[in-house]
Amino acid sequence: MFWSIIAANKRKTVILVVSMGIFLLLMGYFIGMAVAGPAHRLAGLGGITIALIIWVVMLMVSFWGSDRLFLGMSNAREVDRGSWPQLFNVVEEMKIASSLKKMPRIYIVDDPAPNAFAVGKSENNCAICVTAGLLATCSRDELQGVVAHEIGHILNRDILYLTVAATMLGSILIISDVFLRSRWYTPSVRFGSRSRSRSAGRLGAVVLLAAFLLAILGPVLARILYFSISRKREYLADATSARLTRYPEGLASALEKIGAATARLSSAPSSIAPFYTVNPYKQHLSSSPFATHPPLDERIRILRAMSMGAGYLDYMKAYVEVTRRRVALVQPSELLDAERVEIRGSSEDAGTTRISQAAVRKRTGDMIRALNDFAFITCPCGMKIKVPPEYSAGTIACPRCSRQHAIPRADSGDLGLILSQRSLFSETQHFSQETTTKKVRGASQVVSKIPGQWQEITCGTCGKSFELSPAFKASQRRCAHCGALIFIETPHLTSS
Amino acid sequence: MTAGTLVLIVVIAGVVAIVLYAVATYNALVGLRNQIRNAWAQIEVQLKRRHDLIPNLVETAKGYMVHERSTLEEVTKARTRAASAKSVQDISQAETGLSGALVRFMAIVENYPDLKANQNFLALQEELTSTENRIAFSRQAYNDQVLFLNNKVQMFPSNIIAGMFKFTLGEFFELEDSAQRAVPKVQFS
Repeated sequence: MFWSIIAANKRKTVILVVSMGIFLLLMGYFIGMAVAGPAHRLAGLGGITIALIIWVVMLMVSFWGSDRLFLGMSNAREVDRGSWPQLFNVVEEMKIASSLKKMPRIYIVDDPAPNAFAVGKSENNCAICVTAGLLATCSRDELQGVVAHEIGHILNRDILYLTVAATMLGSILIISDVFLRSRWYTPSVRFGSRSRSRSAGRLGAVVLLAAFLLAILGPVLARILYFSISRKREYLADATSARLTRYPEGLASALEKIGAATARLSSAPSSIAPFYTVNPYKQHLSSSPFATHPPLDERIRILRAMSMGAGYLDYMKAYVEVTRRRVALVQPSELLDAERVEIRGSSEDAGTTRISQAAVRKRTGDMIRALNDFAFITCPCGMKIKVPPEYSAGTIACPRCSRQHAIPRADSGDLGLILSQRSLFSETQHFSQETTTKKVRGASQVVSKIPGQWQEITCGTCGKSFELSPAFKASQRRCAHCGALIFIETPHLTSS
Repeated sequence: MTAGTLVLIVVIAGVVAIVLYAVATYNALVGLRNQIRNAWAQIEVQLKRRHDLIPNLVETAKGYMVHERSTLEEVTKARTRAASAKSVQDISQAETGLSGALVRFMAIVENYPDLKANQNFLALQEELTSTENRIAFSRQAYNDQVLFLNNKVQMFPSNIIAGMFKFTLGEFFELEDSAQRAVPKVQFS
């Protein structure tokens, strides 16, 4: 199937990861020799063992704890369908497109900077995390592009490779740091190896020099290796995103928006930067060997250059065209089938209504508040009061009309209730339950208004229905269809 | 060892190899057929979802679109036709008709700003867009599988096994998308 790209790409990443591993072992060998003296029989072997132990411990910790650690460090909250139906839908669409067996868990970070990341070592146990800022700035197609990019990381096993590489980098950093520090503070050789013989002394000096060189250069080289792995995986995730959505423009314009956003991600620790869609530390303008991500404008230009199709081959062609590198990410011969993937039209052409930016921003704010146990009260005057969980008094006065309201305190079920206003099936049920229609004086009728809500009214004369806005204040209204008079009764509320 | 035994060994090895190949091919064909059934079931789930959404959508729009009775009726009729279709080809045709009716409906919605501001309608529209996408993506997965099976059934030598066990060609699920097939407009200005 089209995931044949993984096999071809795996080899290159494995070579990089293995060379990093060899580097780690070399460092262990020479530093072990330098510390224990070259004459010691087990010096090099001991150094290698210690380096390996450090790496394995780090690897195990990050294997079993990294998901929760990442999500915990960035304050992510797991959400379900009701919180943001569009996000849930988009993830499910991508799940279908990529034929993942299990739905990834979805997390939202309360952060105004638009960004996203994925965690999880396997296809069956993974999570996608987006910021509230992303939801507020991106259109449906753009959100889909970003989610597909994250799914791409999951499918290409990037998190696995990056975890292995990151722990190797970490071990190299630790070893070189400890060695250099110990040498700095105790410049004299304590282990007495030099005094044994003159030839051993010369060998010792050579080993010491090699150890110092590795300790100083090691971290730099390891970083370069690590970031080159990271960058390569970003391009591939972009290619996968285009392939899955069949709409490269979605991700391109999302990247543009993310790059243009002024808010900076405050909740991301630097160690998890490579896992984000776009580096949260704004390095994306440079193309230095220390960048975790390829330059943003290059990624956008590649996506926009894909005019012929949305397949991997099209991405690779665009990649060569834009970057002018002679070596493609993946050789065309490494792709099993030269499939033809047509680019689809934007979903706005197909009739999806754009909701105004301000309205979306407001809704994301409400969603985050609902996640953070705010109480929502809709006052009959039309005011929506959002009470933070820290507010301890039992009642609150509406700031506009000063009516007193009891604060409904959140049991865990409350979130669903608040958000059910957005979920469509429960809403249609609400209407039928809450609308009371009485027939009086022949044709005309009296309807009692539900305060603060859109309300469906069925005309008693013609049988058609129309909607009453929550701001409706008058006492009567004509049916929108037949013109029959309907009396609207606003329930009398006792104000304090 | 005589030449006779050598020939015998070669013949037996040949027969074993052929039997192994036949078993492997048969299993691969069965696997593909099951995958196609599974992929088709996925499509049916999404089509059902779309059929369930449409009455809600029409009901919501009715209050606003007083003068668009024919468009709404057309959507309802297309839905009924699609829901009662049985064979892959019938379903393809009926669903294409339904998609067309929905596109015309959505184009008309543009003229009704009140309807476009209705929360209920927006939620339904989001569901509908998502369902269309799911149909598109699961259709692609299904067609990929059908292509694999058809290749196996038609190509030599797996076609011999396929013929012996009566594997038939899978049917592609095509939705004619008028917007996609249209000749791109080029403007020189």
